[in-house]
Amino acid sequence: MRFIIRHLSKHFGKKQVLKDVDFAFESGKIYGLLGRNGAGKTTLFNCLNRDLKVDGGDFCIEEDGKERSVTATDIGYVLSTPTVPEFLTGREFLKFFLDINRDSVRADRSIDDYFEELSIEPEDRDKLLKDYSHGMKNKMQMLINIIARPNVLLLDEPLTSLDVVVAEEMKTLLRSLKKDRVTIFSTHIMDLALDLCDEIVLLNHGELEAIPKENLDNDEFKTRIIDALREEDHE
Amino acid sequence: MNRTFRISFALKNTYRVNSIIYSLKQIPFFGKLLPDRAYGVKGLKYFANILSIVWEILSIFLGKFLYIALMVFGLGSLYGAMPPDRVCTHIFFFLTVIGAFANTYMFNPSRDRYYALILMRMDARAYALSHYIYAMIKVLVGFLPFTLIYGKMAGAPLWFCLLSPFFVAGLKMTVVMIDLMDYERSGRAANENRLGKAGWILLFVLLAAAYGLPALEFVLPVPVMAALMIGSVCSGLASIWKIATFAFYGEMYKDILAQSMYQMEVAMDAAKTSNQKMISTDTRIQSRKKGFEYLNELFIKRHRKILWRSSLRLTAVCAVIILGMLLAFRLQPALRIRINQVIMVFLPYFVFIMYAINRGTGFTRALFMNCDHSLLTYSFFKEPKMVLKLFRIRLREIIKINLLPAAVLGGGLALLLYASGGTDRPIEYGILFVSIVCMSVFFSVHYLTIYYLLQPYNAATDMKSGTYQIVLSATYLVCFFMMRLRMPILIFGCICIAFSVLYCVVACLLVYRLAPKTFRLRN
Repeated sequence: MRFIIRHLSKHFGKKQVLKDVDFAFESGKIYGLLGRNGAGKTTLFNCLNRDLKVDGGDFCIEEDGKERSVTATDIGYVLSTPTVPEFLTGREFLKFFLDINRDSVRADRSIDDYFEELSIEPEDRDKLLKDYSHGMKNKMQMLINIIARPNVLLLDEPLTSLDVVVAEEMKTLLRSLKKDRVTIFSTHIMDLALDLCDEIVLLNHGELEAIPKENLDNDEFKTRIIDALREEDHE
Repeated sequence: MNRTFRISFALKNTYRVNSIIYSLKQIPFFGKLLPDRAYGVKGLKYFANILSIVWEILSIFLGKFLYIALMVFGLGSLYGAMPPDRVCTHIFFFLTVIGAFANTYMFNPSRDRYYALILMRMDARAYALSHYIYAMIKVLVGFLPFTLIYGKMAGAPLWFCLLSPFFVAGLKMTVVMIDLMDYERSGRAANENRLGKAGWILLFVLLAAAYGLPALEFVLPVPVMAALMIGSVCSGLASIWKIATFAFYGEMYKDILAQSMYQMEVAMDAAKTSNQKMISTDTRIQSRKKGFEYLNELFIKRHRKILWRSSLRLTAVCAVIILGMLLAFRLQPALRIRINQVIMVFLPYFVFIMYAINRGTGFTRALFMNCDHSLLTYSFFKEPKMVLKLFRIRLREIIKINLLPAAVLGGGLALLLYASGGTDRPIEYGILFVSIVCMSVFFSVHYLTIYYLLQPYNAATDMKSGTYQIVLSATYLVCFFMMRLRMPILIFGCICIAFSVLYCVVACLLVYRLAPKTFRLRN
């Protein structure tokens, strides 16, 4: 499976944020999306999640050599600030979600199985989500996004405000999830990107560009990424 | 000092000009015509500058005019038993005392002051003094015309009219002097937006003295008032020295502004937690339903306090008023004929009443803040069939919530019509009831429709849609003007029912066609 973006463009007023985003993502890999502040990473995600209307271009999923358009269920989107319906308990939110997606979700697992998987403690499962901590809300959001098994998982700086333990749990989880799907992970933290991601993609001047690691060691690779971001800045 | 004043005034003006351009950009259609670089366009800047200057001049006179015309002269001439000149001067005197500590100009933590002193690090003393002088000149210039005009109209003596502006300024300066001395002594900065318990008590006592004493036919004797006024002017003059030589403006403003910036943050947090507080934590609340019905039932039950309680309260109020009227008919049979006449032509008035009691905006707000705000970030929630399924459920709920008071009111009106002597056309009872119910349904559909079509909030729960605001204001205006309309029940009722039905059909069609696209978080 491949997730293909073709000539995607988006502008706000006169500012062309996404100029010509053209890229094919392979399933089974985690892509680290790097870019300078204001480069348009969140805009790109919002376009892919259809929160924003694109000006031009499109994106599709290629399965067995055939292309098809992207449906809402293909995309999972985890935001940096977790948003969960605060009037529900964790269990209720999960139940509601499973009800809605009865047809597409594996039926052999119970709600508690899912909680186990993300190590959400039994005593927290029946608390209102408004009383959840930041990290737990984040886990809930992640959980909902992975249950539906989307083909493309977009993660917008998801680990930045988590404590080290939760962050490590999430990393392990993401690695275990990468099979059969495209994971695109936007971050500002270079080390995290190098540690977690299989490929590094730069968003610069409204275009996506892969930076091949080849046989560089981590430090050389870092320098290359920074140079690439800098150079393009001076074009 | 002159330079500081010029710079800070320009700063305040820029802030105001940009706010004007910002509001222009929020107007639908027109706002789109303005370029992104609107804030840099010269012509637009000039235009906004002119508005800003007009506003500055208006601010000198308009507030004082309204204050004198309404608070002093308007209310003062209602006391029939006392001569108006005595009452008006009495009220003016006490209100001035309130203003002296509740509106000092010196201790007002305004936003432009924050920009100038904290962000731009301007010289606090020069800033404080130049702006204070400007404010006092505005007091003198702004008050004099109106104290003269309204003083003459009330028949107040000329010396009073002439002395009044100086009395206002003098007393304000005296209070400022006392506060400054207090700061030197205790390090406590007075913040006029946080009066404290004593301040509020004093305010209410003075307010009671201003409006209550004349009702008891007591006003301050003229010689006492004259002495106090002249005394205030003198102490005001004496305080100039203190105000001019006070050495801690910088420290004091930092303190005041820090307090109020903190307050703003607290207020923002409070808005968030107040939304959360609406959620009931009762663990017995559960639902046996499935899918969206499950979500909806839990939402309604956990928000019962804000959704159903006010509706039940309104129902009770309507019922009590109607029973009260029925009782009045019995005690005062003469009332019947009048009420009967009124009911026969006052149906349009009830459009406004139904508008006022509809809980639609509260409902959609709660929906967004505590539910859609988060769920709209999940893609499954935005699938067209899900959006429409939930729309249907919500439409049913919002209509249900509003229907109860409407049914009681509609039924009650029909009952009143009957009890007050009835009508020759029995169908009018039915029309009265049905049209009131239709109005209620109309408002419910209206609010939910514009919420789905214009979804006005962004992820940070800021209201982002100018169009939404305009639709709300237009709704208000139309309902307001309905109050002036007089039409027989039969005609207006039929129009009303037909309109409501048509509107609901059109609105639902629109939602079905457009909502899957428009029901999104704004950016």
